[in-house]
Amino acid sequence: MKFRHVLFAIAAIGLLYIVSISAQTYAITNARVVTVSGGTIENGTVVVRNGLIESVGANLKAPADAEVIDGTGMTVYPGFIDALTSLGLQTASSTGQQRGGGTSGPQATSETNSNYPDGLRPEEAASEELKSGESQFETNRNAGFTTVVTVGRNGVFNGESAVIDLAGDSVSAMIVKSPFAEHISFATIRGQYPVSLLGTFSALRQMMLDAQRLQEIQKLYAANPRGIKRPESDKSLEALIPVINRQIPVVFNANSEREIVRALDLAKEFNLKAIIAGGQESWKVADRLKAQDVPVLLSLNFPKRTTAASADADPEPLEVLRLRAETPKGPARLAQAGVKFAFESDSVKSIGDFFTNAGKAVENGLTRDAAVRAMTLGSAEILGVSAQTGSIEPGKIANLVVVKGDLFGKDRAVKQVFVDGKLFEIKEQPKPAETTPSNGGRAVPNVAGNYSITIDIPGQPLAGTLAFTQQGNLLNGTIQSSLGTAPIRDGKVTVEGFTFAATVEYGGSTVDIIVKGTVSGNQISGTIDSPQGAIPFSGTKNP
Amino acid sequence: MKRITAYFVSLLLVLGNLQFAAFGQANKELLIKNATVLTAIHGTLENTDILVRNGKIAKIGKNLSAGSGAEIIDATGKFVTPGIVDCHSHTMIDAINEGSLSVTSMTGTRDVLNPTDIAIYRALAGGVTSANILHGSANSIGGKNTVVKFKYGHPVEDFPIPDAPPGIKFAMGENPKGTNFSRPGVPPRYPRTRMGVIETMRDAFLRARDYKRAWDDYKAGKTKVPPRRDLELEPLVEVIEGKRLVHAHGYRSDEHLNLMLLADEFGFKIATLQHGLEAYKIAPEIAKRGTGVSIFTDSWGYKLEAYDAIPYNAYLLWKAGVVVSINSDSDERMRRLNLDAAKVEKYGGVPEEEALKMITLNPAKQLGIDKRTGSIEVGKDADLLIWSAHPFSVYSRVERTIIEGETFFDRAKDIQKRADLAKEREALEKLDVNKPPAAGGTQPRIPSEHRLEERDDAEYGDGGNQ
Repeated sequence: MKFRHVLFAIAAIGLLYIVSISAQTYAITNARVVTVSGGTIENGTVVVRNGLIESVGANLKAPADAEVIDGTGMTVYPGFIDALTSLGLQTASSTGQQRGGGTSGPQATSETNSNYPDGLRPEEAASEELKSGESQFETNRNAGFTTVVTVGRNGVFNGESAVIDLAGDSVSAMIVKSPFAEHISFATIRGQYPVSLLGTFSALRQMMLDAQRLQEIQKLYAANPRGIKRPESDKSLEALIPVINRQIPVVFNANSEREIVRALDLAKEFNLKAIIAGGQESWKVADRLKAQDVPVLLSLNFPKRTTAASADADPEPLEVLRLRAETPKGPARLAQAGVKFAFESDSVKSIGDFFTNAGKAVENGLTRDAAVRAMTLGSAEILGVSAQTGSIEPGKIANLVVVKGDLFGKDRAVKQVFVDGKLFEIKEQPKPAETTPSNGGRAVPNVAGNYSITIDIPGQPLAGTLAFTQQGNLLNGTIQSSLGTAPIRDGKVTVEGFTFAATVEYGGSTVDIIVKGTVSGNQISGTIDSPQGAIPFSGTKNP
Repeated sequence: MKRITAYFVSLLLVLGNLQFAAFGQANKELLIKNATVLTAIHGTLENTDILVRNGKIAKIGKNLSAGSGAEIIDATGKFVTPGIVDCHSHTMIDAINEGSLSVTSMTGTRDVLNPTDIAIYRALAGGVTSANILHGSANSIGGKNTVVKFKYGHPVEDFPIPDAPPGIKFAMGENPKGTNFSRPGVPPRYPRTRMGVIETMRDAFLRARDYKRAWDDYKAGKTKVPPRRDLELEPLVEVIEGKRLVHAHGYRSDEHLNLMLLADEFGFKIATLQHGLEAYKIAPEIAKRGTGVSIFTDSWGYKLEAYDAIPYNAYLLWKAGVVVSINSDSDERMRRLNLDAAKVEKYGGVPEEEALKMITLNPAKQLGIDKRTGSIEVGKDADLLIWSAHPFSVYSRVERTIIEGETFFDRAKDIQKRADLAKEREALEKLDVNKPPAAGGTQPRIPSEHRLEERDDAEYGDGGNQ
């Protein structure tokens, strides 16, 4: 598929296939209704009025003023919930935590009333960085998602997430719940403490203690300020007070068994209300998760081998081979152990994989009902929005998906999506391969894939590989050369092309680079900016 | 039976359990018969039996018998020693250095332990049962250490020895001043000289003393508001109070002497001088203070700081009455510490048992775990090795590594299991998820061995040690 064709397909989808209708009252009739909370109605009707579900049942008559949608042969589900995304945020790097190079000193923090550096700022709230406009959610909504958790992904503290509905032309109309949780990554900060995982833990611990103390002193001071130095109004610590008081949960991004165990230990130490996100190996610690009553936002990004065959390389470690084989069995094992979980799409390559892999989880022993629950009511319960959404019940938000065919099968086709009672008619389900996340209505190119590149260092051209994955306008992946492999960060795709930053080792020291480029057809080109100057690179996409 | 066992083992492997779950036998009796026992405290006992019960050494003697259900090992012609204790290791941690600051006492290796590190299993195959997992040497005052037993296959919380006294890493010389290399992601920082290193330490202790005073005042009711808990200074107060052991990396004796004088000034004792390749120059000063030294047996002159290292260091220190241990500081050297101990018999003629102590009882003493491990005595933890020949022979192999009565490495079972693992691999490689993409794909990293970028053991970085 040529790149231009992709662009054309996106434009076509945008212009022709989606018609937004804003009538007030609807009745979906003769459909199979999976209410999730109250079983399945084989031949049912769902009535939507003023953004809410008015009624649902087997023998309902469509109200006279309703626009009737014939649901014969269709299944109506509660709108699907994606429990972890960065949708609607400018870029995941909006916290700016990784700006600056290896030679710059500690960043000034005096411009805000936080005493902590970027990356250790729990007060950064997704709700304040959300962009308005519903067209940006098109791809995800077309796939059947009505509700998502969104949060930035940089820093140790990713900040406060929000639960949003994927419609509404203002930020305030999209928000269902904010904050949902504080999100933490076991990440580091470049150029200043903490630069290692060791420091990440001690920095987290010190901030929790500082927040505890701030609260204590605030109480003393409120009771009687005389003789007590006024407590500092540090907004980073103030943002942690609801966290240490268990008023809002903490989502730890943790995939491996040991990361999950570390998160559980930290949660125990500070009596935090913990949630695990990612959770690739969470089934290995299911007993502890159950005992500590910790739910999992389980990624449906199931690993598979992406490295090329090579006679020179050592065979892959057995544990890697096992991990790939075992991951699809994880959801069933969690269910069996009684651990609560919700599916999330974080880092899946294409949103269609969400359902394909949920189907794989079903093939590997998860019941269909449990799989559906993990993307509807079960998810809503973990997110604390189950009173409003997640099931088809009178009085709940009219978040609904009308699906033709098997939800987990290849014939799956989403026909209509209701978000807050607003109907999005999807006349033709675009194939997953053609979908490209959209960006504010303007299509951004899909640059995902692997590229073999040549970096034109004068006199010694260097071969390398760029491996890109893309979610919306966010770019992730690695840059690899004989100098080593580095993860890319602050990666972003715009209509103009892509940019990302990375830190590579060169000539015995580390160098911060900024890479800008464009993809055209199977050609890639651009420049690598470093303190030593700009170097062009070019290459081709591996088929 | 054999087939059933093999099936059971592979089933456990498939379930993702760790490799030795099937061998778990901590509560079973174990009787080792007719071995040559190197006790590392009461000499060598010929034709001797050791009875292990509830993870402890219950009896040592001749013609011992065990209850029914006990595992009996015929060790005729074999040697038994205490498990090896490595007093300086960076194995099983996902991060070694917090290189950003000169004082990182708030960090600790306990937070970043990786109980699935394959280096643990390899160390077990070399007879190591306990290790001192240290922070790196990038900082004048580094992070808190963790003293572990290598209970590979157990959950991480089983690794730290619960009653081991806490400790901390200090470092002197080239690594903390860092003038010869750059640290990934970290701008150059103070100190840049050896005098700056000791100043950083003194400054930290002065701050710790003030901090302690602030808390004392608060506890005495002199102040209204509790001081801020400071995770950087808390461990240093513990050092001053003698509750936390200092393990101080350094090569030059002038620096180590300086550090001991600093400790005198603040009223505590340095637990171990780590590396101390020229510690022989200040042996009486070390002995007088009861400080231990943990060395390499060779690595003479491998870098400028180590230029005055000599083969006879261990001998001279031992002669002066210093408790000496031999450490690895390397995942690779860790697997053959028995041969490093043998070298001190050659250079200077340290007696056999004293040499053996340098990798067993002495490091246990230095780490404060000698009440439970380091020698073969009734009542101690059954941390035992069965060797095919005398452990100081290059032909000797560890046949079994036992920690608290549980077998964590069994050479015969390891060999037997390889066919099952090969079969498992073959089956896994056939799965779609494990096949390389039909075309393209990322190039694999060659060689594939995972290595932390901040790691700088013998094969990496400054070619030296942390």
